Amino acid sequence: MLKLTDLTASVGEAGEARTILNGLSLEVPAGEVHAIMGPNGAGKSTLSYVLTGKAGYEVSGGSAWLDGHDLLALDPEERAALGLFLSFQYPLEVPGVPVMTFVRAAMNAQRKARGEAEISAPDFIKMARDIGKELNLSADMLKRPLNVGFSGGEKKRLEIFQMRMLEPRFAILDETDSGLDIDALRIVAEGVNALRSPERGMLVITHYQRLLDYIVPDKVHVLSHGRVILTGGPELALRLEKEGYDGIEGAAA
Amino acid sequence: MAPARGALSPTFPDASPAERALADRFMAGTVDGRRGRAFEAFARTGLPHRRLEGWRWTDFRAALATLAPVTATGHGQALPVADGAVTLRFSGEEIFLPDSLPDGLILHTKADAPALAGAEEAPMAALAAALAGRGTGPDTVILEVCGRVAEPVHIVCEGGGAEVNFARIAVIVRPGGALDLVESHLGGAGLSSVLIEIDVAASGQLRRTLSQRGDAHEAQAITALVHLDEGASYIQTALAFGARVARIETRLVHRGTGSAAVLNGVYLCAGGQHVDFTSHVRHGAPACTTRQVTKGAVLKGGRGVFQGKFLVPRDIGQHTDADMQHQALLLEQGAEVFAKPELEIYADDVECAHGNTSGALDPDMLFYLRQRGIPLTEARAMLTQAFIAEALAAAGGGTHEALSAAASRFLSGVSL
Repeated sequence: MLKLTDLTASVGEAGEARTILNGLSLEVPAGEVHAIMGPNGAGKSTLSYVLTGKAGYEVSGGSAWLDGHDLLALDPEERAALGLFLSFQYPLEVPGVPVMTFVRAAMNAQRKARGEAEISAPDFIKMARDIGKELNLSADMLKRPLNVGFSGGEKKRLEIFQMRMLEPRFAILDETDSGLDIDALRIVAEGVNALRSPERGMLVITHYQRLLDYIVPDKVHVLSHGRVILTGGPELALRLEKEGYDGIEGAAA
Repeated sequence: MAPARGALSPTFPDASPAERALADRFMAGTVDGRRGRAFEAFARTGLPHRRLEGWRWTDFRAALATLAPVTATGHGQALPVADGAVTLRFSGEEIFLPDSLPDGLILHTKADAPALAGAEEAPMAALAAALAGRGTGPDTVILEVCGRVAEPVHIVCEGGGAEVNFARIAVIVRPGGALDLVESHLGGAGLSSVLIEIDVAASGQLRRTLSQRGDAHEAQAITALVHLDEGASYIQTALAFGARVARIETRLVHRGTGSAAVLNGVYLCAGGQHVDFTSHVRHGAPACTTRQVTKGAVLKGGRGVFQGKFLVPRDIGQHTDADMQHQALLLEQGAEVFAKPELEIYADDVECAHGNTSGALDPDMLFYLRQRGIPLTEARAMLTQAFIAEALAAAGGGTHEALSAAASRFLSGVSL
């Protein structure tokens, strides 16, 4: 489903560019959830931005394919229409655009790009209400401008709300656990688990093992200096927790 | 007493062809003393130009080499106004007035021009006072608001392709009266200048909502001179798309204790279009409030100008509460915005604030929308629409939706 081969990318102006991804290879088959763990500066967030097409990152080598599509050749909105979703580490505030208006515009734009019919207003409202309830988001919150005045935890729940509404083929969750208390973490994890299915893949980026108690991954990749240095099962996360990144990096070197 | 032609010439030493044509128009009609004084006030500066204080970025003289008819009779439709609205139409030398009026509204017409106080400070208003109604219509149309008028009054200015279109309208709101005034300034003349004089008496209310359109062959000036008495309320919302030069000027005086003014505006400038929002607010009475929000979005080759001034004199200006905000989006490289916010405060117990920003759309915000699948053009339109919305929120006369839709059409037509 998602296949990354020797991905190399840098950030910054030419001359001062720093290589952040350094020959990263990774494959997530449909139906699996993989975790990416790594110390600060390993390239975790850069990977999420390179895959979704944020400006400012120069890909100098390698490839990234999703369902047989060359992601790197597409605009961000085209990648989204293929079903690629990023839950942002720091969701942006969008003043003046209510959550419902925004999500409906996004959903219909994706449908249009795929040649599908728009969702009807009653269907949309019902879906939003049901999913909002599961995530403990009130109808009132969904009418407010996107993320404006929302707490850190509310913003993360709103990211998961958008993910549930948009039903992506492949979701990247970038440090979705940061800033969450234990109750919010459980709600977010349940939202993510509800989307697990044989057709869908996910990449869960996290610094700590804690989230993986709730979202149990099929595989764990350890990222260091822009490449995967170790891949294992869920037990690898526990080992990381015990030995620290230094210990693992030392062992893998 | 008519000033002799020679008396004008010293103040018009190097008149441009357009200015000479304006002087000829003035001399061709009946000339009374008040018109003469208004024209002299105009002739002191001529068509305002960049070397004049307050006109540095909006040069009517350079924009109008000659007075010439234009091919466009007008631009777009007049605003759709709530049912029962009364329409007054000003088109070149023709003025169309309504046959019947709603309760509480009286319409007067005057065949001579009333004196224009402060004409020297507003040359384009002085020009309108000197030249309005020289054809078959009245020189001045006066709307007297004696009660709470339920139906809006709609003023439509559309030149029909003429060289010039001048209009002078006075709105007098009697104590406790209330009116929704809507204006559609549709251009369609080489030079348009409209003067609106507004007096709101104690506890009166006037809500003024206007829309302006024009093209690169037209120069437009819309000047409002507003006086507010004790406890009066004035709410202004303007949406402007510009012309070769378009100036929307509001000179407002708080004259009675506790009067309140809202002065909001939005400018949306495509390439070659110029909008100037200029305002001067004098807090000439205690405990008055002014709230001003001006938002702009400009494309390559477009030009937005904001000049705002709050003047708060010592003693009489105490307990003034005033806030001025101007925020502009430069949507493309090559867009221009010039801003001059000014607070001149001599009273010591006041709350006055201002803010002024201009920049591009936040690229991170754009990326966030695009990551959700919203195409770039739509994402830009959505963010820009949200950005300007606040400044249109107080629009009256049932026009809010139409103004938002007009802005939206402009923004979604923008393919960057």
